[in-house]
Amino acid sequence: MTEIKRESPVQFKVSPLKVEARDNWTVALEYDEEGQGPWLVDLAHKTRWDLQDRKVGELTPCDLAVPEAPGECTFADNTLINRMNRTQASIFHLGAEAPGLPDFSGYTDVTESTVFLALFGPKAFFIAEKLTALDFLDPAKKAPFLYQGPFCHVPCQIVTLEKAADGSGGFLLTCSRGYGDSMVHAILEAGSALGLRPAGENRFNTWIQGLQG
Amino acid sequence: MNRLNQLPTLRITPSEKLSLNYRGKTVQGVAGDTVATALFANGVRVFARSLKYHRPRGLYSLDGECSNTCMDVNGVPNVRTENTLLKDGMVVREQNVKGSADRDWLAFIDKLDWMMPAGFYYKTMHKPAAIWPVAMKQIRKAAGIGVISADYQMKGQYDEMFIKAEVTVIGGGAAGMTAALAAAESGQRVVLLESRPHLGGCFDYRVSTTAEGTPLYERARDLAEKVKLTGNIRVFKHTSMVGAYNNNLITAFQVGKASDTFTERYIEIRSDSVVVATGCIERPLIFDHNERPGVMQVGCAHRMARTYGLLPGSEAVFSVGHDLGLEAAVDLFDLGLKINCVADIREDGQNPELMLALAERKIPVLKGWVAAKAHGCKKVEKVTLSTVEGTVKRQFPCDLLVASAGLTPVTGPFILAQAKMGYDSHTGYFLPTELPEKMFPAGRITGVNHPGAIEASGRLAGLKAAAAAGADVGKTVAEAEKAASVLPGPERGCKLVTAPVKGRKSFICFDEDTTIKNIKQAIEMGFDVPELIKRFTSAGTGPGQGGIPGHNLPLFVAKYTASISTPVPTTVRPPLVPTFLATYAGYNHHMFKHTPLHDSQIADGGIFRNIGVWQRARYFSADFDCREEILNVRNNVGMLDGSTLGKFRIHGPDALKALQRVYVSDMSKVKEGRIKYSAMCNDDGCVIDDGVVVKLGENDYYFTTSTGRAGQTVEWIRYHTRFDGWDFSLVNLTDAMGVINISGPNARKVLSKVVDIDLSSEAFPFSGYREFLIKDAVFVRAMRLGFVGELSYELHVPSSYTQAVWDLLKEAGAEFGIRNFGVEAQNVLRMEKCHVILGSESEQRTNLLDLGLGFLWDRKKADAKTVGAVALRQAEKDAGRLKLVGIRMEDDDRPARDGALIVDNNVRGYVATMRKSFTTGQAVGMALVESQLADIGTRIEIFEDECNGVRLYARVVATPFYDPKGERMKS
Repeated sequence: MTEIKRESPVQFKVSPLKVEARDNWTVALEYDEEGQGPWLVDLAHKTRWDLQDRKVGELTPCDLAVPEAPGECTFADNTLINRMNRTQASIFHLGAEAPGLPDFSGYTDVTESTVFLALFGPKAFFIAEKLTALDFLDPAKKAPFLYQGPFCHVPCQIVTLEKAADGSGGFLLTCSRGYGDSMVHAILEAGSALGLRPAGENRFNTWIQGLQG
Repeated sequence: MNRLNQLPTLRITPSEKLSLNYRGKTVQGVAGDTVATALFANGVRVFARSLKYHRPRGLYSLDGECSNTCMDVNGVPNVRTENTLLKDGMVVREQNVKGSADRDWLAFIDKLDWMMPAGFYYKTMHKPAAIWPVAMKQIRKAAGIGVISADYQMKGQYDEMFIKAEVTVIGGGAAGMTAALAAAESGQRVVLLESRPHLGGCFDYRVSTTAEGTPLYERARDLAEKVKLTGNIRVFKHTSMVGAYNNNLITAFQVGKASDTFTERYIEIRSDSVVVATGCIERPLIFDHNERPGVMQVGCAHRMARTYGLLPGSEAVFSVGHDLGLEAAVDLFDLGLKINCVADIREDGQNPELMLALAERKIPVLKGWVAAKAHGCKKVEKVTLSTVEGTVKRQFPCDLLVASAGLTPVTGPFILAQAKMGYDSHTGYFLPTELPEKMFPAGRITGVNHPGAIEASGRLAGLKAAAAAGADVGKTVAEAEKAASVLPGPERGCKLVTAPVKGRKSFICFDEDTTIKNIKQAIEMGFDVPELIKRFTSAGTGPGQGGIPGHNLPLFVAKYTASISTPVPTTVRPPLVPTFLATYAGYNHHMFKHTPLHDSQIADGGIFRNIGVWQRARYFSADFDCREEILNVRNNVGMLDGSTLGKFRIHGPDALKALQRVYVSDMSKVKEGRIKYSAMCNDDGCVIDDGVVVKLGENDYYFTTSTGRAGQTVEWIRYHTRFDGWDFSLVNLTDAMGVINISGPNARKVLSKVVDIDLSSEAFPFSGYREFLIKDAVFVRAMRLGFVGELSYELHVPSSYTQAVWDLLKEAGAEFGIRNFGVEAQNVLRMEKCHVILGSESEQRTNLLDLGLGFLWDRKKADAKTVGAVALRQAEKDAGRLKLVGIRMEDDDRPARDGALIVDNNVRGYVATMRKSFTTGQAVGMALVESQLADIGTRIEIFEDECNGVRLYARVVATPFYDPKGERMKS
């Protein structure tokens, strides 16, 4: 009898040490030998919304303001709102649960559309620079901020949540779901020399809780 | 050979032994050695033979400026061994030899140079034509610079890196390091590139002192330490800059150390501003046999001793044109080299302190003298010195001739940045007449040679670069300018080009065996521009990238032609330094998209092909005709992974207007619960996409596109509504939904075991659309379509659940013998129904009407409001257009290949898709033909590649070939 369960677009070659079933997802909480970082975490199960409206800047999804300028982000209460352009914002719910989709036609649930990864820890951006020319460490930019550009030649949305001049910090990356296998393979290959390892949601939670104080 | 192991300038670790295999023997070097210095330490003096004449070649520049020491290392030919660090276990071979480099059987060719004047290959290798294919093979065997196996696979790990910096400094000498430190003061991110494995440049090996009395090598190490301790400077050693592009995009490659995880690394730096501190190389002195083993440049001889602890000879003569030559002579004498004479081209202008030092050591100095000829066969045995005018000559015995006419700046980065170059008559350098935007020179490249001036120019350039990148350092720049202005400026350079010789054996380009005589021949044949002479004689087109002839060629041409114009240098192009293609390829990640069913398709035996950005299962058995897959759909039930289909949501008050604009049909007729098939055209009326549209709610639609168009759809609709100010939103859901196509007469039976809705034809008819849940959890959008000509359901399922739904259907269909079918089976099935695939049955010229899809076009819509409608209206009466027709081969066992031409005396069309139809037993397909050939019954002639004159024949037949009334798909 086929079991109804959801599959992430991302598969690590190592099996998780601890998992949790959540909304038909099998969420990896922890991996064996996660190391000292940097870490790569699969967040496919986290809810993402697309919000489009002419007056998107006046909307307050989850009681948070949509940032004014494209590239700016708002991060509070485990919710990240990224202003993409004049009429569009993306919303990432980073907590364990997400609210229901608001009853407003401008919202589309795009959780299924994308790969959703977090790459963070020491030297995280030295891995990124092997895969993209995007300037995450631009001193003029203050985290969190959004880039929409190529990462390993694939169009991505990338939100830098934390950065330091020594290349440490981290970012969230989404791209078309179909690229999951290729993207993870590319990232892990680029990061192998720097000790990049898959990690579970617990590691990610610790990181973002630290960011939110 | 004993090393000078106690020198403080050494860059080797004598205690760390490394070995290499050379000509079957193991020889030892030490850590820090290059392959060439290790071989030299083991007595090797002839490293290779030259391209044409098989002349013996030895160490000359130590910086890879020529192919003299190019060898085969670990199976890779043309490796510049003088700047390739020794790694334990390397296998090194000579190249372009018959026998060995020492005893080359083809050395006699050197005597035949009279047969090979400039451009001889252009003039001789075409008549008589019959002998040249034979002769060419022999020539190719005799000449060359290494051979690689066609099967050779590059080993190693090739990394890549894309970085951003406010300031990039090219060159890690004293000027470069000072520039980097100055730029870093403002907090900006600085990248420092150095081609050698260590920082220091021309300070690194010199024991002469700064004004404060610090030896230059110590000063270099002090600066390197400061650089290391400066957090915002990223240093890349053993990294050669190879390209400069728009907006200061600098490219480089780094050679990995034994401890690095990469073999080589491609580096791309987007920099706000750039400091070029590449310094100078030496301008070769041209005289007879100026490339004999034992002739080497000043820096080469000096670094051999100071960096690698190897005295380059035992008895030397110097023929130089600058003070660095005198400084080297003094220092090498002190290290134990016997020096019989120093010939200085200059009559005056020498540094008095150096002249005094030479006198104290009783080294004879001849001012206004120059080497005229090196004697000896495989190594220098003596040298003839001459006055610059050639009036008096003297001979001196030696096994080392240190020769250098002067210095020449390494201006490649400026030339790549499109700087105009001009001749500076004071320094004798080719320098930029105008600097490229945000690019600044520093150090010896500007003509300064005083250590303090070198550093001061570096600091000034670094600060200017920082300012150009946005730092507020105006006051500091002014101070640095003032400090630099009180120090010695650019020095007068030596202008001599050749010794007073005829030039038959005086080589201006070592790589291509080009002599002064060849240049004269080219000029006498009418080539008077260095760029043309370069091409005609090949001078400067070898692996050294013009390092040896780059400066001398234009100077010699100007002098020989008595040109009154100033000399113009030849250009250089990227890569400035020979680079492995593997390095450019980098990781070469294969970025393909996989559907949510990818793994299970593999498990089911899918054979994949790359289709656009996707990898799709094209076949499910080794039978690429897919007979079983096809017949199973026709007679039973099959499942296809159609997830690559483009899927979109469009919503908002003006969503319908946008749809009306891009689709040719009247989209206001889309009804809830029904699908509408339509097409998009471009402004020429040519079909660019087709798909279905369903209405989800008020001002809310879901539509599909072909796989290939999904990536452009949002942009396409936005572009065609850009002036309207309409309020609508588009969401690309292509990857959000997996698509399972279940087709065949038993499809309904299988699906009914999984879903709870009424699937009867009355409740869910052909062209119907339904939404439902599977197992109360999985939301499904279902469409009844007929692309393959059978009862079909297309299920759009959230991607994360697609595998689960697929497995449910597979389980439910097991009793019916359900099986997968792939893209090729789908292709045949739909071809039998004459359903088009855009790109297969259409091309740039074919419009909606040509494809027989005119029924989709709603002619009542205003033409101006529908993309392509104006062109379609005009094309309606246009005779002679291509038409899509069905064709059947006269021989049903011989289908024509896709793309085969339809011909008479001219090309009249082509076969779009054709297969042997297992359903009908006929070889049928679709073809685009000129309208005159489109009538049913017309016999057409088909030409295939390599048909050897045998044509195939077919006739135009009625379409579709299968189930013409569509009863099966509507059942």
